[in-house]
Amino acid sequence: MRFSFKWLKSYVEIEANPKEIADRLTMVGLEVESVEPRYPHLKRVIPVKITRVNRHPKADRLMLCNVTDGTSTFQVVCGAPNVREGIVVPLALPGTELPNGIKVEEAIIRGEGSKGMLCSGKELALTDDASGLWILPETITLGIPLDEALGIDDFILDISVTPNRGDCLSVIGIAREVAAIYGTSVRYPDISLVEEGPPIESIARVDIEDPQKCPRYAARVIFDVEIRESPEWIRNRLESAGVRAINNIVDVTNYVMLEMGQPLHAFDYDRLADHRIIVKCAKAGDRFLTLDGQERILFDDSLMICDGREAVAIAGIMGGELSGIDFRTTRVLIESAWFDPITTRRTSKKLRLTTESSYRFERGIDPEGVIRALDRAAQLMKELGGGKISKGRIDVYPRPYQRKTIRLRVDRANKYLGTNLSTEEMASILSRLEMKVERREDGDLDVTPPSFRQDLTREVDLTEEVARIHGYDNVPLERPRVLMVDIEPNEHLQLRDALKEFLRGLGLREIITYSFISPSAISKLGFQDGDEKLRTVRLLNPLSEEQSVMRTSLVPSMLETLAFNLNRQSNCLRLFELSKIFIPKEGFLLPQEDFHLIVALVGKRHPKLLYSDEDVDYSDIKGIADAILSFFRITNISFQPLDKFETPYMDPASSADIICGESHIGRVGKLDIRVAERFDIKEPVWMLEFDYEKLFSLRGPIPKFRSLPKYPSVVRDIAMVVDESFQVQRGIDFINSIGETLLESVEIFDIFRSSQIGEGKKSIGYRLTYRSSERSLTDEEVNRIHEGIVKQMLEYFGAKLR
Amino acid sequence: MEQVADRREIEQVVNEALRELEEAKKDLKLIDALRVKYLGRKGLITNLFKQLGKVSPEKRPELGRLLNEARDTVERAIGSATERAKEAILTSKETIDVTTPGRIPIIGSLHPVTQVTQEIVRIFSQMGFEVVEGPEVELDYYNFEALNIPKDHPARDMQDTFYISEDVVLRTHTSPIQARIMEKRRPPIQIIAPGKTYRCDSDMTHTPMFHQVEGLMVGKDISFSHLKAVLTLFVHRMFGPQVGLRFRPSFFPFTEPSAEVDIQCVMCGGSGCKVCSYTGWLEILGSGMVDPAVFEKVGYDPEEVTGFAFGMGIERIAMLKWSIDDLRLFFENDVRFLEQFT
Ligand SMILES: [Zn+2]
Repeated sequence: MRFSFKWLKSYVEIEANPKEIADRLTMVGLEVESVEPRYPHLKRVIPVKITRVNRHPKADRLMLCNVTDGTSTFQVVCGAPNVREGIVVPLALPGTELPNGIKVEEAIIRGEGSKGMLCSGKELALTDDASGLWILPETITLGIPLDEALGIDDFILDISVTPNRGDCLSVIGIAREVAAIYGTSVRYPDISLVEEGPPIESIARVDIEDPQKCPRYAARVIFDVEIRESPEWIRNRLESAGVRAINNIVDVTNYVMLEMGQPLHAFDYDRLADHRIIVKCAKAGDRFLTLDGQERILFDDSLMICDGREAVAIAGIMGGELSGIDFRTTRVLIESAWFDPITTRRTSKKLRLTTESSYRFERGIDPEGVIRALDRAAQLMKELGGGKISKGRIDVYPRPYQRKTIRLRVDRANKYLGTNLSTEEMASILSRLEMKVERREDGDLDVTPPSFRQDLTREVDLTEEVARIHGYDNVPLERPRVLMVDIEPNEHLQLRDALKEFLRGLGLREIITYSFISPSAISKLGFQDGDEKLRTVRLLNPLSEEQSVMRTSLVPSMLETLAFNLNRQSNCLRLFELSKIFIPKEGFLLPQEDFHLIVALVGKRHPKLLYSDEDVDYSDIKGIADAILSFFRITNISFQPLDKFETPYMDPASSADIICGESHIGRVGKLDIRVAERFDIKEPVWMLEFDYEKLFSLRGPIPKFRSLPKYPSVVRDIAMVVDESFQVQRGIDFINSIGETLLESVEIFDIFRSSQIGEGKKSIGYRLTYRSSERSLTDEEVNRIHEGIVKQMLEYFGAKLR
Repeated sequence: MEQVADRREIEQVVNEALRELEEAKKDLKLIDALRVKYLGRKGLITNLFKQLGKVSPEKRPELGRLLNEARDTVERAIGSATERAKEAILTSKETIDVTTPGRIPIIGSLHPVTQVTQEIVRIFSQMGFEVVEGPEVELDYYNFEALNIPKDHPARDMQDTFYISEDVVLRTHTSPIQARIMEKRRPPIQIIAPGKTYRCDSDMTHTPMFHQVEGLMVGKDISFSHLKAVLTLFVHRMFGPQVGLRFRPSFFPFTEPSAEVDIQCVMCGGSGCKVCSYTGWLEILGSGMVDPAVFEKVGYDPEEVTGFAFGMGIERIAMLKWSIDDLRLFFENDVRFLEQFT
């Protein structure tokens, strides 16, 4: 809501300056977004008197003028035809930016200095005269900003009005708030009409077919008006509010809307068939040409204003092209109505047509202000366009507004707010807001809000009004005394936070990417048609196709992030994301939301080449997988050959599925290079995915402490030569399966290939640690057991010792 | 008959030892070997002690004294030789270049949004709030209707909503959790709910996905001054006790009265700058007393319980905390951005 400060002041007497008013309004909930001078460009334009005019020595058509601002004299070069000694004219000083875009600078024009520019009225956008210098009255004060000199200095306030305060979408509405703040009252405009036309009943008629959607419709007719340009004062006020002036009749409807908040419409009476109005719904599919020249296709709940033949306006939204005011109009029917907010909003949304009018009806207008606005409009139209106002008015009011009286319990309000206000203080605040307040015998208040405050229907609404005007800052602080509650720890979240910390400790950086992605990004991963990963939750109104489906995988966003960074010369990337994926669930409105974890490594093992120029490989990403599994204390894990159908985007030769018991909980390995290429990545990408929900549910219990061993361990190694295809884990599994009680642990300490061992062969070194919890083992004893194990192993795998 | 050591013989052993030690110079290994040769379990001087038992009792004290002196002399000599040798090792070694870059272990980082979320959650957890979460794809009912925002209400314009279907939306705020929790439990309730939220808006100051934290306290006699106290405490913990704040009336359909919380601009200290649009204030929180209509929807009696709710944008707070001037950086995930929050 934009309006001029002077306009506001015409309804309420206040001394405060615009900035101060703006602050006070902000602090009662009418947030003032800006306070700007009405004519910022006039701040550096001053009236000056031309004291001498000489020809420019080097240019025939230019003059050298000596001008005075009352104290000093300076030279300005000027080419205007009406320049002469003795006149007072506006001078734009250097630094002024004129509305037409010209920047005034101190200049040297053909060798002569010019301190600014003398202007025409048009150049200052104050008059239409561009023929020569704007000659100002002799009596004007020289040297002060022109807006002040002309008495047109003003400020524009821009207020962001919350949806509950439709009553503040007018200058008088704001004035009422100002009056309440300062404890003064609003000076409403005087409305007095001379009715010289024929009786309204004899010349027009209104019928409301749908009183639910239109509870009130009032009208007046004016005969013999003259369509012309509105006077300066009204055009100026419209312009200050950002509304373009059109002609006196249309301007009045806009002016009254801005002044009082009641949207009005003016019909050309002679274009209304049968001179009648019928308010009724359209038929679905009806077409209607609105005054902006657009054809609209209507719905069966679009409320229309019709004449005896056809629709002439979309109720409360926009008039028709064919029934409006133009230069030939002589007789006007003024509509002032109350249209139902929901109906107006629905139609406005469906037609994608929002107007100043629909905006106000949606937020609720003052049902009792309908007549005042109608009369005000008639008065102004007669004032601006002459003519005769009909006798009386039509006021069809099938669903009259009922004022409601609400009881405000003073104690309850104080308790609710934490204040200690007296009954009188509350009564005073509410009275200032034009509410009817009566003191009850029990000390509480019976409050009847004014009809323009349709947002006040409950006791709590009044409590808010009290708090708002009393000032939130005047409510004391008090720490709540709360009962201690048994707070259930959110383990799912705690463990997620802990996991993030853990990953940070592993040298990984967290990323957060959008939950919605492009469907083509999932297709790029190579899923077959019909794969469930391609079944996504789709947005009805995405911002773009790129962000149109909820992701079923974290992979595409990770790959896009890798590519984004690689393109910016960040070559050593160690990233992770722990976010939700969204899986549609048959028979449910909401999808399943599962947290997944993705880790990706690209580039060198260490960002500092000095210490490592080795590329990351499978062991790095697998190591992170192992670390995460031990973080969750999950055992019983196997790494199995990748199921290529489940995971088409990984390289099956270098990747594995991670299985816990029967459950597939993740995958680890190398991204398929063809997929990488689709994401513009040339480097090898090592990637790890876990289903966090599974990690969470499989997490192991907190382990019991085990006593430290008392006796020393004995270590023995086996180096076994096997085929290249042999999975090293098999050796460990076999040794463990023997069930030797003195064997404490087994690990791989070496994997070795050489020409001596032979092509297609490798040597695996297993280190076995033996220990007894009861005694020190002897070498002989261990040797015997170890040789047994070695023998079984070589036999079982058909392998040789190295 | 066995020869018994005399003074001369002892001196000879000692002199031999001293000579050998001299020759060993700074060879720590050799010096150690000499210790074994003379003073070890079968060492030369140790052996001489064994003869003590064979001499006559009257000669014994004299021999004992000589042997002790000999052992002490050799021990001292070995001691000082060892000392000398160790010192030589320390000083003779090549010095390292102390400016060589350290082998820094690779250090990761948490996203700034995560860091700020954790900080906010920690502050409220310490005040006794419980952390809960809810779905991101949400029923229109919880996102709007249960929060007193019916269909066809202009308040829906306050949030540009992504729709999945007529009844399903991407939550536009974390507020639906309020209704979900109240539906399940009885007061007192003190919860805090962080999470992702979505709005159909993308420009310099909006990203279509962002993060919020929602808070709710419901109980007997919870008042607006409690709201002010809790949020003031939060602001002071988050931004420091010197930061001024103000509560400004506003409108949210699910709270009444509603209040925006502004803090004094952390960039200019309140004197006015570009970040605060020259107002000196920055809006960081929306809050208010839970509207009775919301209580009625979840089956609470508004005469019996009252409460307050609040919500704040995480990115906004992160931007103020680190003076980040471009919202879009949060979701580009440029590692040069992320590594600044290590
Ligand atoms: Zn600032």
